[in-house]
Amino acid sequence: MVSALHIITAALAAAFLMGLLKEQQRGLAFGITLVTLAFMSWISAGWLWTFASTDTAAVEIFTAGTQPPFAINLRIGLAEAALTLLINLTGLFSALALKDTLLALGRRAMAVWLVAVMALSGIVLTRDLFNLFVFFEMTVIATAGLVLLSEHSKNDGQALAAGFKYLVVSQFISAFLLIGIIFAYHTTGTLNIDGMAAAAPLLSGSAAQAFSLAFFLIFIAIVAELKPFPANGWALDIYESAHPAFSALFSAATGAAALFAVDKLLLIGGDAWLPMATGIGIITFIAANLLALPQTNDRRLLGYSSIAQTGLILAVLGQRDILGDHTLYIAGGLLLSHAVAKAGLFWLSGLIAERGLEAWAALRGHPVLIFAFVSFICMLTGLPPFPGFYAKWELIHLLAGEGRIALLGLILLGALIEAGYLFRWFGYIMKREAPAEVVDNAAHKVVAVIAALAAAWALSLVWGELSVLQFERGNLLLALPLLFALTFLALDPLPAWLKNTLAIAGLLAWFYLTYTEYDPLRMIFAVIFLIGGSLTLLASYHAHGQRSGFYPSAMLMFAGLAMLIRATDTFDFFVAWELLTVGSYFLILRGKHSEPHALSYILFSLGGAFLILAGFALATQGAPHFDLSALADLVQPLAPWVFLLLAIGFMTKTAAIGLHIWLPGAHAEAETDVSPMVSGILLKAGLYGLIVLLLTMGRQDFYGVELINVMLWIGAITALIGNLLAIFQEDAKRLLAYSSIGQMGYAMFGLALMNHLGWLMALMFVINHYVYKSMLFLSIGGVAKRTGTREMYRMGGLITLMPLSFIATLIGIIAVSGVPPLSGFGGRWIFYNAILTAEARLPMVIIFLAGPIAFLYLFRLIYTIFLGQLKDEFRRVKEAPFWIVLPQMIYVAILLVVAVVPGLVLRHVDSYLNAFFPNGGLVWEGSTITSQFGYWNPVAIMIIVGVIFMTLFAWLLFVNRRAQKVKQFNIVFSAERPFRPETTHFAWNFFAPYRKALGFLTLPLATMFWSTVTDLLHTAGDLARRFYTGNGQTYAFHLLAFVMIVYLFGMGVRP
Amino acid sequence: MISLAQMAMAAGFILILIGFYGALTQRNLLRMIVAFTIADTGVNIVLVAVGHMRGRTAPILDVAVPAADAVARVIDPVPQALVLTAIVIGLGVTALMLAYALKLHARKHTLDIAKMTELKW
Amino acid sequence: MVAPISTLTTRQTTRQTHMIKRAIALLLLFAVGTLFASLLLGYVPDSELNHTARYYAERTAGDVGAANIVTAIVVTYRGLDTLGEVTVLFISAAIVGLVLAQDRLPSDAPRQPRVPVSELLSTGSRALTPLILLLGVYVFVNGHLTPGGGFQGGAIVASGMLLLLLADPLKQFSHQLISVLESLSGLLFVGIGVLGVLLAGGFLDNRLLPIGTLGELFSAGVIPVIYSLIGLKVGAEFSSMLASLSETEET
Repeated sequence: MVSALHIITAALAAAFLMGLLKEQQRGLAFGITLVTLAFMSWISAGWLWTFASTDTAAVEIFTAGTQPPFAINLRIGLAEAALTLLINLTGLFSALALKDTLLALGRRAMAVWLVAVMALSGIVLTRDLFNLFVFFEMTVIATAGLVLLSEHSKNDGQALAAGFKYLVVSQFISAFLLIGIIFAYHTTGTLNIDGMAAAAPLLSGSAAQAFSLAFFLIFIAIVAELKPFPANGWALDIYESAHPAFSALFSAATGAAALFAVDKLLLIGGDAWLPMATGIGIITFIAANLLALPQTNDRRLLGYSSIAQTGLILAVLGQRDILGDHTLYIAGGLLLSHAVAKAGLFWLSGLIAERGLEAWAALRGHPVLIFAFVSFICMLTGLPPFPGFYAKWELIHLLAGEGRIALLGLILLGALIEAGYLFRWFGYIMKREAPAEVVDNAAHKVVAVIAALAAAWALSLVWGELSVLQFERGNLLLALPLLFALTFLALDPLPAWLKNTLAIAGLLAWFYLTYTEYDPLRMIFAVIFLIGGSLTLLASYHAHGQRSGFYPSAMLMFAGLAMLIRATDTFDFFVAWELLTVGSYFLILRGKHSEPHALSYILFSLGGAFLILAGFALATQGAPHFDLSALADLVQPLAPWVFLLLAIGFMTKTAAIGLHIWLPGAHAEAETDVSPMVSGILLKAGLYGLIVLLLTMGRQDFYGVELINVMLWIGAITALIGNLLAIFQEDAKRLLAYSSIGQMGYAMFGLALMNHLGWLMALMFVINHYVYKSMLFLSIGGVAKRTGTREMYRMGGLITLMPLSFIATLIGIIAVSGVPPLSGFGGRWIFYNAILTAEARLPMVIIFLAGPIAFLYLFRLIYTIFLGQLKDEFRRVKEAPFWIVLPQMIYVAILLVVAVVPGLVLRHVDSYLNAFFPNGGLVWEGSTITSQFGYWNPVAIMIIVGVIFMTLFAWLLFVNRRAQKVKQFNIVFSAERPFRPETTHFAWNFFAPYRKALGFLTLPLATMFWSTVTDLLHTAGDLARRFYTGNGQTYAFHLLAFVMIVYLFGMGVRP
Repeated sequence: MISLAQMAMAAGFILILIGFYGALTQRNLLRMIVAFTIADTGVNIVLVAVGHMRGRTAPILDVAVPAADAVARVIDPVPQALVLTAIVIGLGVTALMLAYALKLHARKHTLDIAKMTELKW
Repeated sequence: MVAPISTLTTRQTTRQTHMIKRAIALLLLFAVGTLFASLLLGYVPDSELNHTARYYAERTAGDVGAANIVTAIVVTYRGLDTLGEVTVLFISAAIVGLVLAQDRLPSDAPRQPRVPVSELLSTGSRALTPLILLLGVYVFVNGHLTPGGGFQGGAIVASGMLLLLLADPLKQFSHQLISVLESLSGLLFVGIGVLGVLLAGGFLDNRLLPIGTLGELFSAGVIPVIYSLIGLKVGAEFSSMLASLSETEET
């Protein structure tokens, strides 16, 4: 094993060697640089392998043939090996990405580069405080110099100014650092970090006081290198002006090294200094994320994000008193996620010609680069299966276990803001107009990005394995459904039909493999998710070509759904929840105009997911594992809080009123075959969550409020408002989307009744809603596809041209509206029975009111699209494509079958529910179903309705037998064209009178509320960033003020 | 009684404050650099002062200070070694700042730091 | 009439902002001052050497063999710091060179000194430079015995260069020579350090050569060698910075 010392000597030797080369031998110099960096990486990698594979203790490296503390010593252990590997590899790949610039600037620039990378490794390795200072100064000087690398191509003096500002600030920092070091030496008699850590606690009286002052100066100086808010204006200017390949090093490697230095310092200072680290860290995390919101320059944005992440990790280091042995796993997971992702993003930035965020739309033609971008932002956001996810899970749980709820909340809030601007950026990439400049895909630059991508996934695997070893959880990357979904990334170049077949086969195979595991309740969801999913996928056969990116996203969502119903503990459940969220986000984003809607979808979903995470963490209370069934054992005062968090989290997914504003856009703007997936299938995940919650936790008393009653009310109001909003839509798909909100309200209401029939009805809704909403979205989607519009008043009279779509819609709305004879009526019947057994009378009235409203919008759907007059421009419209019609016909068949024999499914559920709600079940005798209020015989009803319908139909035909047929388009009319022609159409603003009467209920209060929240956040960020005036002197003021404020507050509260 | 070391230290701290004040209020790059040099000097004085011990001599072994009783005769050598490093590093930074000032002047024809604010927010 | 008033007010506002700035600066520095004051007041001079210093005082003569204990610390015990220090100078010089490289005048461009150099300076410099260089070499070669050493010696050497430049601002130094000198001494420094790992007790262990008798020129192992290399390197680096700065001077 090569001594880690040679990381330093090799770099120095190579740097000094540069002077012996001729100025012209630039290729050779560059070769030496790369070989040296590779050699340094190899040394680190060797050590990392040693420490990871064997149980070796950290190795001390002595210098000068003398033992510490009398001579400087270095140390390499697992953390040091990993960090130096990170630093050296970042150095290596950044050098590659910098090839052109380094070659142009010559050997001196390469020497500085080598020294910079070496100095960062030195910061990590050294165990001597003053030596740490030397390496830090080396880093400062090298940084100031390397900022100028961009000056070579831009030559606008910006980098020069940024470098000067940095030097100004660093002068203050180094003065504090030196004074701190000398006084710390004076009080402890040593410069050795471990020696000082041993000596410091023994100090007493004035010496202890003097030491803590000195330590404060050292600590604050090193923390200042982490760019804490607000003393970080200089860093942002560096990020903005420097060459992105340097910024990659600055963000990933410098940040990592400085964090490790803080970690060493905390060893000296002890637990008393942890709160200060946490405070500075978390404020920086929130503030930097907030300030990132209004940024439009990609590099500055990444700079803010880097600062935020560093702040988060600092806060985590400050929690080491409760994280204990897991600090390395958690802080390391966050740090490596941040470093790899940020380096990757900065390298990507080097491929983009312009600095606006929209300019990144140039990536769109490059699937691999898009995949890299997605991987990086998911990594930063802490989504599974990346290391940050595991780290976040353990962190939040440990925090909740110790009752540090405020910090927990702030971390999740900051993470949500960060997800906001990162996913907004991804939306720009996918949807904004691509700039004229193409991506610079020079091989040496792309290699760096690919390396980061590979590292991202390799780290995920490693963190998964560690999670198996340390926490006995699963390695997500080895979970079969997820692997299956990821396989589609590799299969992306295949034609769509082949992938579609594979996807359907996969879903069915998974069902076959697992169906024995499900109890009747889960079976319903399994059937909807897997069988239903493959049915919906039939419609995807209509797509031609490759359909790049569709299958990985769709299968990711289905993987999440499949894992959700098999999850038994909170970890598995949450993983599945995040996977299905992310997958569906990518799916929704595929719609033509879905950019803002997909964003609000992912934000609401992640917000909900964070609440769920917090709920689980609170429930777990530090236990290593927590079964979902154990939720039932929770008691006051914890239980209602857990219930509240989880319930709100799940209701975000079911789009309960107030949290519903993401749904209409997301469902309506999605592609034709995606709408049924996200509406018919995905919404059920939220209901599934609520069912799990209510089954285990049931009634909870929250300061005297029965939470289940609140949910009952929310369900009722959601049903009413959802339906009301639906009737005023002009857009057919939005109408359906709003109707989903209403339907979910019904289901929630049923669950919240907490009795046998209520649940039966909710489950009936689950099934019915899947069938008819998928069907309606497909038929309306098919119509929209053929007519090119979704505005209902533009259509009309399509019944003869698209008869099959008409039949599907007709059957669908009969089913939805709950009139006999179809399954919807069964739902209603159970429902009314259920209500009669419950005490809640007022919400009951509301829910009754919602019924007829549903009929209004459904009527409009069929009346204005398929009936009435055909428009001239649609005379040649054809029936929807075969593959879109086929699943609709299957749904029609299902609806008819279920209508006749509802017992097929419901009987099993009914008897299963007896275990939870023993009273008030139904009695199944033959084809008759009896409740305590009456009986229902679906077959008889079907026959009666059929007879009535046939009789009336026959009579109608008879009466109209002599009616004269008129062609529609032989009417000549002349008139002025009104200013807005649609206003004269009968189908426009169809329910104007109702709007007059009930419009006040549809005021977009929720939308206003949420947009005010986001506006406020933006404005806050925008105002706060004015604070960074760009003046180097002001930044120096900031730094001094920061130091003094921390001094006054921090030292004041310290013992 | 105030020792020599404490007086030197006080002087060092005052120099640091003077230097900082200059760096915070002077807008001319060159004046800022001079201010930092003053502050650096102050830091170095403080460093040396910390190692001083009354009635002892420099840590050089010779006829006057034989190796055997060095422990009782010499002052703490460590701060002296550190200050050497600090001086040299300070010098490197100063040289760098001067070069930057020169180049900034060539590029922007001003030495006013308040006029170098293209990057902000 | 409008214009003067507005300029007046602008001037007033600038003055006001300047006043505010000074006030804040004073306020902040007052806070820093109190921090320093508490450090100062809490400072108790040692009456005995602490254990680190005691170790050096007791063991330097026997282990390292350098009469100047500070040198023993700088070159051997804390040799890694010194290597870092040299590296700091090295990259500073490299960056100064990089920063100023683009503005450097082509070497064949005619350059005129703005003020003719006085007779006294040019004659004096010719007489003094060799002496200064000699002094510099003396200081770094004897670094292990007397106050002084590589950095001091190197700085003296560079001051000789400065004198030459003052006497003849147009003087061209050979950058290649300076950089070879700088590189070779740096490489040898690192090389000796690594030899210490292979042949003696560790990186930068000075006992590659016999430590000799305390107080003699050839004593203290490789310390004189290293300090001479440092002297050369520092001299070369300072000279290179001076040369870069002087060549950029506007004509």
